[in-house]
Amino acid sequence: MRTLLVAALLLVLVAGGAAAQSGERVLASTLDNGLRVLLQEDHRSPIVSFQMWYRVGSRNEARGATGIAHFLEHLMFKGTPTHGQGEFARLVEQNGGQDNAFTSQDVTSYYVNIAADRIDLVIDLESDRMHNLRLDAKDIASEREVVIEERRTRTEDDPGGFLGEEVSAIAFKSHPYGAPIIGFMEDIKRITPEEIRAFYKTYYMPNNAVLVAVGDFKAPDVLAKIRAKFGRIPKGPPPPPVLAVEPPQNGERRVVVGKQAQLPIVYVAYHVPNQKSPDAFPLEMLSTILSEGRASRLYKRLVYERQLALEAGGDYNYFAQDPNLFWFWGTPMPGQTPEAMEKALLAEMETLKKEPVTDEELQRAKNQVEATFVFQEDSVHRRASLLARFELIGGYADKDRFLERLRAVTAADVQRVARAYFPDDKKNVGVLLPRP
Amino acid sequence: MRGRAVRFRKQLDWLMRLRRLSAGLVVLAVLLALPAGAAKPIAHREVLPNGIVLLVAERPAVPIIVVRTFAHAGAVLDPPDRAGLANLTGALLTRGTAKHTGPELDSAIEFVGGSLSAGAGRDGLSASLAVLKKDLGLGLDLLAEVLLTPTFPPDEVKRKVAQIQAAIKRSEEDPGTVANRALARLVFPNHPYGRPVEGTIESVGKLTRDDVARFHGANVRPDTTIITVVGAITVDDARREVLARFGGWKPPAEPSASVPPAAAGGPPQSETIEKDLTQATILLGRQAIRQTDPDYFPLAVASYVLGGGSASRLYSRVREEGGLAYAVYAYVSPGKYGASFNVSAQTRTAEIPKVLDIMREELVRMTREPVTERELKLAKEYLIGSFPLRLDTSSKVADFVVAIEEQGLGLDYADRYKERVAKVTATDVQRVAAKFFAPDGFNRVVVGAPKP
Repeated sequence: MRTLLVAALLLVLVAGGAAAQSGERVLASTLDNGLRVLLQEDHRSPIVSFQMWYRVGSRNEARGATGIAHFLEHLMFKGTPTHGQGEFARLVEQNGGQDNAFTSQDVTSYYVNIAADRIDLVIDLESDRMHNLRLDAKDIASEREVVIEERRTRTEDDPGGFLGEEVSAIAFKSHPYGAPIIGFMEDIKRITPEEIRAFYKTYYMPNNAVLVAVGDFKAPDVLAKIRAKFGRIPKGPPPPPVLAVEPPQNGERRVVVGKQAQLPIVYVAYHVPNQKSPDAFPLEMLSTILSEGRASRLYKRLVYERQLALEAGGDYNYFAQDPNLFWFWGTPMPGQTPEAMEKALLAEMETLKKEPVTDEELQRAKNQVEATFVFQEDSVHRRASLLARFELIGGYADKDRFLERLRAVTAADVQRVARAYFPDDKKNVGVLLPRP
Repeated sequence: MRGRAVRFRKQLDWLMRLRRLSAGLVVLAVLLALPAGAAKPIAHREVLPNGIVLLVAERPAVPIIVVRTFAHAGAVLDPPDRAGLANLTGALLTRGTAKHTGPELDSAIEFVGGSLSAGAGRDGLSASLAVLKKDLGLGLDLLAEVLLTPTFPPDEVKRKVAQIQAAIKRSEEDPGTVANRALARLVFPNHPYGRPVEGTIESVGKLTRDDVARFHGANVRPDTTIITVVGAITVDDARREVLARFGGWKPPAEPSASVPPAAAGGPPQSETIEKDLTQATILLGRQAIRQTDPDYFPLAVASYVLGGGSASRLYSRVREEGGLAYAVYAYVSPGKYGASFNVSAQTRTAEIPKVLDIMREELVRMTREPVTERELKLAKEYLIGSFPLRLDTSSKVADFVVAIEEQGLGLDYADRYKERVAKVTATDVQRVAAKFFAPDGFNRVVVGAPKP
């Protein structure tokens, strides 16, 4: 299913997958060339989800070359000397498979979901394009136009995307999280084939990737096949680390933009730590308490009770490689002002600092996360994605400790992180004002 | 999946960039166009004494249960001057019952990590429950309450009307939605399919609590309701649990409403809707046929060859070679009372004529020459071979089973689909293309292009 929805699921942080309770064990292995392989048998359906995750995203990009990771992701479908233009998609479809890819700030991920007996084909294709991508100038020229169209659809002509780019830009002075994943238009137009080839060489190598497959296969057999195909690819030098550390924010930052739109949008974003900090667990709980479902705090108070917002929520990315932002958003109802919307969001923040969340809110959030973990088990695709996400931030086995740590969060913890990370004088505010 | 895990995150979609994006309609069309593998029936089916059709698919491995109900109470039953009535009724089901207020319902289901939602589409009104197995009793109690004893409290009606109006207003900024609304009006004139399911800001503003209560009383009824239970449960347990809560539900005396199939559309028309955007959304559409027509299968193959996947003719020419668009598709969109065939693309304003030319050329080529053996093989193998992927979660199974039952396609539809698709020849494809792909037969909507 190559829909936005499914891709959005990949990004979901509470996307649980409690291997401990219902899954088969994971066969984990690191090949001599550094490729990390995680295989999990799941025999309920005769299918497999095969996923390649590269440790490269927009955070690895230099100024002036934003969007290069995403551009390259598009080009990964353009062909190798063995599998020519269009072959990759044609072969996958002809074998009844579905594939897609996405680029985030931290990772670039490719997946093929396909009948399990076609796994050899996928191993062949993925190992080929890890090392032998053609990247010829003509393909790059035509795909550049496609990427530009994508930017038009999802940034220039999309109010939410447009405002998001502006707020990210003011929130980060130094760290590349401030630049858009798709890249600035100027950079997309400028990036040269040589730069793309160099970027590919630097980041697409076995020792910078995680291969995850979950499905109806025998793990040792598949491991042998992976070893045979991927094992031939030479290990590369370790990619350069991202050195930028975002300096502390010294004051409120604000951006107001006008755009053809029907309703205003308000974003408020604060710098928060990532999963390397123990505070990540209360922040994750807080995100669930604020936004998960119609009983969640922001929905209930701002959408339901006060009828101030058409939508409101808060979002934290547990899996960020570097410290990132906690986002709040609200879309005011017609007749309500963005000022009132912002004030209401900030008032909720003050409440979080002043009063602990209720026992019911906390317990509901914990139950929601636990249930989500079980629901995730229903899909091989989601099981595989989750293994990869945890592997990329330290180890797939942390997945099992994640729930434990969330269960231990107290109302006092939630209050403490709200006080620590949502100071009123260090917020980043974005307002989109509709233009007819 | 829907509703779980997505977590109101839609606003932050821009935090990720995808290689390809597909229209929601495509997914629906493909789902309904499903081929099947196994000979084993996909679900157990029986008719309960009060007319409810009960369908059960056992999936024992994961301790979750998904329940979908579908009542013949979609927007097709909206009176012409009450557009949006079914949609409002659906949205209000979870906003208060004889036993619980809306917030109490929300808290009860979410406290156990489950979800319960309801809403109407073109053809029907659905409710959806997803719970851990241990919470099935609670979940079904709440589901029965919202279907059988909703109270439509006046303040909830007022609130929901305002929310729907706001959502309609906001959707005016989404060029795809604007284009689809305009196209439906052109393709299905004088039929409910031509009206938006959600209604208009004006029509929704006129709806009253009485309208809603009457609509619910007349149309949400056991003798047109399907209940599908999928997950870690046996047929016997599912029957017992459903009968305990829905067995005493009685149909009203009046017969259920009937809907005429869509009459042929008028002469094709063109419409341009100006918006200050950098890109234009182009939509071509015309009436087509649904799954009960034998030509549906060649049409599905033809549509796939033309614009179904990353190896399709339109994708190759418009995107891969031309770099003209990020998204370009052709798809059949079948409903119970009519179907349409559509072609869509988004391109920069300056390239509208070029994209329209390519669409026209490729439509014509489908009518003039047979598709190649290679294309035919690819389309058939994809449509047949991707089947297991489309039924790999309880939610997907539930959606599929509901769809084939409500469209009257039969539980063996999946197998028949597979056989029929396998038999499609290049001659069939060309014959059906000649019938449906002649470019002059399409209505056309362009959103975004400023006046030249």
